[in-house]
Amino acid sequence: MESFLDCRGLACPAPVLQTKNVIDREHPDLVEVKVDNEAAGENVSRFLNSQGFHVTVVKQGSELRITGRKEGNAASESASAAPEKSLGHKKIMVMIAADRVGRGDDELGLKLMASFLKTLKEMGPELWRLVLLNNGVKLAVESSEFVASLLELKDQGVGIFVCGTCLNHFGLMDRKRVGETTNMLDIVTSMQVADQVINI
Amino acid sequence: MDDPYWFGQIAAANAMSDVYAMGGIPKTAMNLVGFPSKEMDISVLRRIIEGGLDKMREAGVVLVGGHTIDDPELKYGLSVTGFVHPDRVLVKRSLRPGDRLILTKPLGTGIIATAIKGSLASIDIEERVTRMMATLNRDAAEVMGFFPVHACTDITGFGFLGHLAEMVASSGWGVRIDSARLPILPETAGYANMGLIPAGAYRNRDYRKNMIDFAPSVERVLQDILFDPQTSGGLLISVDGGRADEMLNALVEKGVANASIVGEVVTEPKERIMVY
Repeated sequence: MESFLDCRGLACPAPVLQTKNVIDREHPDLVEVKVDNEAAGENVSRFLNSQGFHVTVVKQGSELRITGRKEGNAASESASAAPEKSLGHKKIMVMIAADRVGRGDDELGLKLMASFLKTLKEMGPELWRLVLLNNGVKLAVESSEFVASLLELKDQGVGIFVCGTCLNHFGLMDRKRVGETTNMLDIVTSMQVADQVINI
Repeated sequence: MDDPYWFGQIAAANAMSDVYAMGGIPKTAMNLVGFPSKEMDISVLRRIIEGGLDKMREAGVVLVGGHTIDDPELKYGLSVTGFVHPDRVLVKRSLRPGDRLILTKPLGTGIIATAIKGSLASIDIEERVTRMMATLNRDAAEVMGFFPVHACTDITGFGFLGHLAEMVASSGWGVRIDSARLPILPETAGYANMGLIPAGAYRNRDYRKNMIDFAPSVERVLQDILFDPQTSGGLLISVDGGRADEMLNALVEKGVANASIVGEVVTEPKERIMVY
């Protein structure tokens, strides 16, 4: 099913809203939107992306034609699995479900977490993904001392995933500073794909 | 803003903000109204003016008159006059190196307003944003009087970075902003990711991007939030660095709960903003 929209002459947020209406009503596999300004182009592209479409933009003079193609059968809202590191290695996934390591002494637990995150890179290319759950999501938010270590791992190609349900529960959704927001389906699938799953 | 009463409240709070930002106290105001009397029921105008009047009363401002004209587009604003001590007038440009910057209200009102327009925002966030925009900057301004504040501006249509850039461009100094410490309304990033960004944000970015450096860790969504045009935003205060923590405590104690120290004034690079 293909949908076409002409949003030329419309001011933001009308193009995004019209695009949303068309998607809600017609459930297209392909949607094409014409706009006449960069702001609308950017907004519509982002919107389609957030709804699981693969987006391409073609500029024709002062007009922009944004085309969104549905990827396969996206069952959930995330079209994630961004290419991380090259395959051919063993894939190690580390699940961190707390903001410190171990029980007994909280301060020691924090020191251990700091040390753990810094030393994780020794796993080299086999370290595939880090998934943060429950209190673990707090490692990735703005006030956390661990954001720098996580960013370093991300720069090395490690996939950093932060549980969306947990972020919402703590009210931290827009204080996340590193990593992609993920859901349980992605997490369970990752566990299946990984060669080794480590729980912290 | 659908509810006429809140429309009036927010317009009034917005108008008085400029006087607070100068370190002054608003005292009198005049209404400026454009109203499509043939298309809209007069009760709408009555509610707007009630909203504005209640806000003026709250601020201790006396309404001394106004002008109302017929206008196909609804408009409501105030012309505000206030008093300020001539030795303590605060302007935008007098930043000093070593100063730290405090922002008193969270960012995101433009993006959230766009989401509200598209009926995509939760009732909770709509209420929260409405109350935030209707909040006077009076408490923050009162606290300013007790601290060595060197410069101040209020954050409105040019967005956080737009108004900061005005302070920087005229001061000759530079500024570093710690993006992790910026107060941002909940759900803002989510809506921004969906493309619910007002056109003004793009204009704000284009106008000032040449004087701003973003660290690679500052995601595009966060950059958009920093250019998001605000309605009735908070005060951006440049205060002597050594007293900033004390001032922050005083603000929070006075009820300015979202106040946060967001950056500092530096000597190099001059007239540039570094966001990390």
